Amino acid sequence: MLASGVVAGTLFVAGPAVLSGCSPAPPALPEEADPLASPAERAESDVVLARLVAAEHPALAIAAGALAADRQAHASALRTELHRARPGTIPSSSNPSSFNPPMARDTTTIIIDQDGARDALVRAVRSAQDEAAALVTILPGYRAALLASVAACCASHAVLPVLS
Amino acid sequence: MLCCRCCRDRPGNPTVNRVPIEALQPALAAEHAAVWAYGLAGAFLAETLAGQLAEAAAEHRARRDATERMLIDAGVLPVPAEPGYRTPEPVNDAASALRLAITAETDAAAAWRSVIENSPAEPALRKAALDGLTAAAVQAASWRAAAGSTPLTVPFPGAP
Repeated sequence: MLASGVVAGTLFVAGPAVLSGCSPAPPALPEEADPLASPAERAESDVVLARLVAAEHPALAIAAGALAADRQAHASALRTELHRARPGTIPSSSNPSSFNPPMARDTTTIIIDQDGARDALVRAVRSAQDEAAALVTILPGYRAALLASVAACCASHAVLPVLS
Repeated sequence: MLCCRCCRDRPGNPTVNRVPIEALQPALAAEHAAVWAYGLAGAFLAETLAGQLAEAAAEHRARRDATERMLIDAGVLPVPAEPGYRTPEPVNDAASALRLAITAETDAAAAWRSVIENSPAEPALRKAALDGLTAAAVQAASWRAAAGSTPLTVPFPGAP
């Protein structure tokens, strides 16, 4: 009786450990920000900046318009990946102007003159390139490749004749 | 795309000393092809583009040599250059030479992006591959500008 009781007790104790995958989840801890959140916000901010420059400065309109289009594509791809990784936690946005638009960095510079606007665009793409490049060395393959393309695209804008 | 023997798909993605051989060999092959392509394109490009051509060709030669060293250091025989490559169209004037240059850079961008996607997060290797991808994207945009084609950039250089 005693022996079998011990055996039964052992099985009882071992059971939950073996089936630990089915046990209730521990209380949620505060989640760290997804490393793609900042590049996504930056891309959205750059879209706003580039659209403002394109509207204010005709000489920069083509370059700024092309930059806005590429950064919009970056924002959409990064939001898609953020949403895939954590469904329901991040609102997807295909068009930053359709929801609360983030304040563009350096908006005060844009209004002043064309050279200031050009400088603001170059600073924006170089900052975006640097941020994405830093993440390329540490993130898993798919995300690293996505950010590598973002960095390379931003680098190619920075050297185009209108901005360089 | 410029075609060569090593474009064939092979299963698996073995790594030696954390070097993704299966991704690095196509990157080396793309660099061989780019060096060859610039040799051909140079015969047709305008003199005003000679500086850009020399710079691009030198970048690819340096990257080819560095990639060969990476493979040799990993104990792997680097793929050799082909005697010649099949171009997507005949190259017989400045316009087709510019398109060849853009094709070579597009192929190189794809190969280096693949290295990033298929390699461990090892900073030196990822950085080298990102440099290859970035240089190819920048050169491709410069050649598109020279060719007068638009848009000058693509949002995701190297992406399939």
